[in-house]
Amino acid sequence: MAISVFRFAPKTWGAADDLEAVAPIPLPSMANPTVILSGLMVIFLLLFVTVGPSLWRQSPSQQWLSQISEGASRARSVRIVSDNGAWRPSKKADAPSGLKVHAANTEYVRLQWPKLAGIERYRVYRGDADKPGLGLAITETADSYYQDRLQLSSEVYRYTIADADTGLLLLSREVRPEAAMSVFEAQLQGLIPVTNNKTQWVEIPGHPLGTDALGRDILARLMAGGRTSLFVGVVAPLLFITFGCIFGAIAGLMGGWVDQLAMRFVDFVVALPFLLFMILFRVAFGIGPGENGIMPLIVAMLVLSWPGSARLIRGQVLALRSQPFVEASRIAGVSTSRIILRHMLPNVLPMILVAFSFAIPQAIFTEAFLSFIGMGVSPPTTSWGALCNEGIKTLLSHPRQLILPAIFISLSVLAFNILGDALRDATDRRSGVVRA
Amino acid sequence: MAKTSASRFLIVPAVALQFLAIFVLSVGLLSQAQAQAVDAQKSKVTLALATEPPTLNSAVATDTIASFVLSHLMEGLLVYGSDGELAAGVAERWQLDADGATFWLRDSARWSDGKPVTAHDFVFAWRHALKPSTASQYAFIFYPIKNAEAVNGGQLAATELGVSAVSDHELRVEFAKPCPYFLSLAAFMTFLPLREDVVAHWGGRYAADSDKLVVNGAYVLDKWVHGAHLRLRKNGHYWQKDGVKIHEIDMPYITADPSAQFNLFRDQQIAIAPLDTGLLDEAVERGFNIEYFHTGSLYFLEFNFREGRISSNRAFRKAVQRLIDPDLLVNKIIGLPGVKPAYSLFPVTVKGSEKPFREEYPVMRVDADIAEARKYLKRAKAELGLESWPPLVMLAGDSPRALQEAEYYQYLFKKGLGLELRIDQQVFKQRLEKMRRGDFDIVVAAWGPDYDDIMTFADLFTSWNDNNRGRYDNPLYDRWIRLAQSSNDAKTRFNAMAQIQRIVVEDVPILPTYENGALYVQNPRLKGVRRSIFGGDPNFRYAWIEQ
Repeated sequence: MAISVFRFAPKTWGAADDLEAVAPIPLPSMANPTVILSGLMVIFLLLFVTVGPSLWRQSPSQQWLSQISEGASRARSVRIVSDNGAWRPSKKADAPSGLKVHAANTEYVRLQWPKLAGIERYRVYRGDADKPGLGLAITETADSYYQDRLQLSSEVYRYTIADADTGLLLLSREVRPEAAMSVFEAQLQGLIPVTNNKTQWVEIPGHPLGTDALGRDILARLMAGGRTSLFVGVVAPLLFITFGCIFGAIAGLMGGWVDQLAMRFVDFVVALPFLLFMILFRVAFGIGPGENGIMPLIVAMLVLSWPGSARLIRGQVLALRSQPFVEASRIAGVSTSRIILRHMLPNVLPMILVAFSFAIPQAIFTEAFLSFIGMGVSPPTTSWGALCNEGIKTLLSHPRQLILPAIFISLSVLAFNILGDALRDATDRRSGVVRA
Repeated sequence: MAKTSASRFLIVPAVALQFLAIFVLSVGLLSQAQAQAVDAQKSKVTLALATEPPTLNSAVATDTIASFVLSHLMEGLLVYGSDGELAAGVAERWQLDADGATFWLRDSARWSDGKPVTAHDFVFAWRHALKPSTASQYAFIFYPIKNAEAVNGGQLAATELGVSAVSDHELRVEFAKPCPYFLSLAAFMTFLPLREDVVAHWGGRYAADSDKLVVNGAYVLDKWVHGAHLRLRKNGHYWQKDGVKIHEIDMPYITADPSAQFNLFRDQQIAIAPLDTGLLDEAVERGFNIEYFHTGSLYFLEFNFREGRISSNRAFRKAVQRLIDPDLLVNKIIGLPGVKPAYSLFPVTVKGSEKPFREEYPVMRVDADIAEARKYLKRAKAELGLESWPPLVMLAGDSPRALQEAEYYQYLFKKGLGLELRIDQQVFKQRLEKMRRGDFDIVVAAWGPDYDDIMTFADLFTSWNDNNRGRYDNPLYDRWIRLAQSSNDAKTRFNAMAQIQRIVVEDVPILPTYENGALYVQNPRLKGVRRSIFGGDPNFRYAWIEQ
């Protein structure tokens, strides 16, 4: 016998008079490893952005100036050093016989070397001790001392002094700066009170994923960014799918000229360019400088993304309307609202769910893309797309800053897509799971 | 002089724009047919340009790219020599007095169509630039010349301008007030000669394409595909053509992205590429020879003094001054060697009477101190009668570095003073427009010198200067500038400048942050490229390729 592609709402079975009726067909199992994994991934991501920040209590906007673009680090104590800007060795001290290190910490490395006859200008190179080459020429000076303050970290450096005119290498020495923080920064971060500058050591937290180009904890930023991304990813589809469904259902149910008009309007909206309207909405919303662009983003998605779901639902409703069981109900005098509840809704609900689960990754991706081109969130708010935008500037030297948020975007988009796929398979009765 | 310093380098967004003119050439390891950074056989250099020059009409050009291209195409009365010193150009010799200057032009100077360069070409060019209908943004730079301001304002006819051609080869300039730096003005872009017949023939389209201009410099514009390609070739009519060793400068790439330019350099497609923070480590790793030079430009935070702005309160500005440590910004956030923290309105490159100005008159350095900053802020709150602080708007550029810097300030303001700072990121033109309208509380601005005199920085914040975007109005400041402008005596001038320097530190009309240095990598076979503050950068006029 022919089996309807439509399902009915739950009904009690077992009465002897409907032996002819087909037993309800169980939904195909969603319990395959990929789907479970994706489900777990989605749960993990949601926990990561909601519970995460309360477990990892670092502010995503705190800038650790003494730890710019560092790799993974543990919590540790650092020495507080007061720095008074310029430095020169005391006149009384004798000129050293070799390259002398007066102080070496991550705030400053103070070098002094003997004045050599016949050399007018010295060039100071700084390089990684474990890499070949001289490294970077950090200064050229006529003095026989130099204070290096340029983005120091506590790795081993090799300083080389050369004659700036001939390039002749004169002196070289390896130095490991001690971890330190300036009084100013410690006061700024609230580690020591502003009136006190006698503290010697402070504890600073570790950064399991390192820090970005402004010294901000990448883990905390991923959590904060994910919150924005997933918020947009869930709320925007929720809004535009809901709107699309209502619009499509009305068109389908009313039919006739209403349907014609509604569908031509859908065609019109489909033709609108998304990016252009995104920009126009920002302007129309009067989003001032530096204010957050999340609301216009969501509204732009709502206004421009609903036609897909509207068409989908309208088609389904139209098909349902002419089904014999619906006609039968109508002839039997069942009210319209009852028909919608009993026949329409159960049959379109799976489609709505599937459309929703596919809209989520699309929305996450749209947000990421807009933030990446600078049309999304404004600092200090961040999102995964904005993090990628920041990371791309340091791609060559610190690829981590781009790759980590990119992985999160990819994982979330992939997980939601797989879930959507599984959901579609599970609700699609035409794909041969029927046992008569 | 009255108004000064135009916007040639005004607010140059970042390293990328500083390097507007970046060229590339591949070293041609493969076949000759391929693009090569430097080609010793053809004596050809390939470069990348950051953007296309908006115009090559010297009367209206304002940007660094046009300045770079024009410095190769044209030659003024004076030029900058291989060491950056002023040297003879079209003028063979000259005489500078308190009331005027006379230039004697060489017979051998020729336009690219073979006609001689005469004093009339200069007279025409200067009158043309000053005509109100030309609307040159650089018109004010002529103001030391007699009647220039009135001619520019339309009150006097152009013929009344204090410049005249005594003969074909003698040019006489009369000053409105003493102008000891006129020789360096004479080397400036807007003072280049123009041919009356060619300008009249093309009208508004003059210099819009490669066939719509005549030049008198070391190179001719051989090809100009808009938005894609420029090519310069040696000028056969140039009077000093034997000294020009690079025969061809090809610029087949136009991209403002430093990473793209760096990749081109790495693939040996271009001969010079600028470096930005993210590229520095990579360049070191690859063992490239990294060079830097002081661009002479000053970056600063400019406060808005218009009615009702919080930033017009001195205690508030003092609080910001005690909060922001230029040294910290330069070493931690920017992290590029060659960029120097700034504490004075005058960069270290500004000349004094004998030594650099900053050595003769050291600046008072104000150290960052959070406790002091909070005290000032409390005072500002009381003086302004505020219940709570409204959010402040910081206008910033759209380059990666500008955003990073702005986010740093945002954090400092929040954490150090508890103030909310909103970042208004705008593209260059839009930012200038917003600055003009006064649509900001604090703006991250920059100034590049136009001519080699301290006045190019000093008169920036006089009440009458159009480029004083914050509308700072301090009678004392104005008085010192007037004093310096009416004097020809070096000591009087520089003492006045020292007062200006002190006022900037004490009253904080602006807060200097850093003096920009440009980092770049250059093909090791290319020698003698002059990187300079004045006269177009970089300059290949004296460059050569090593075999």
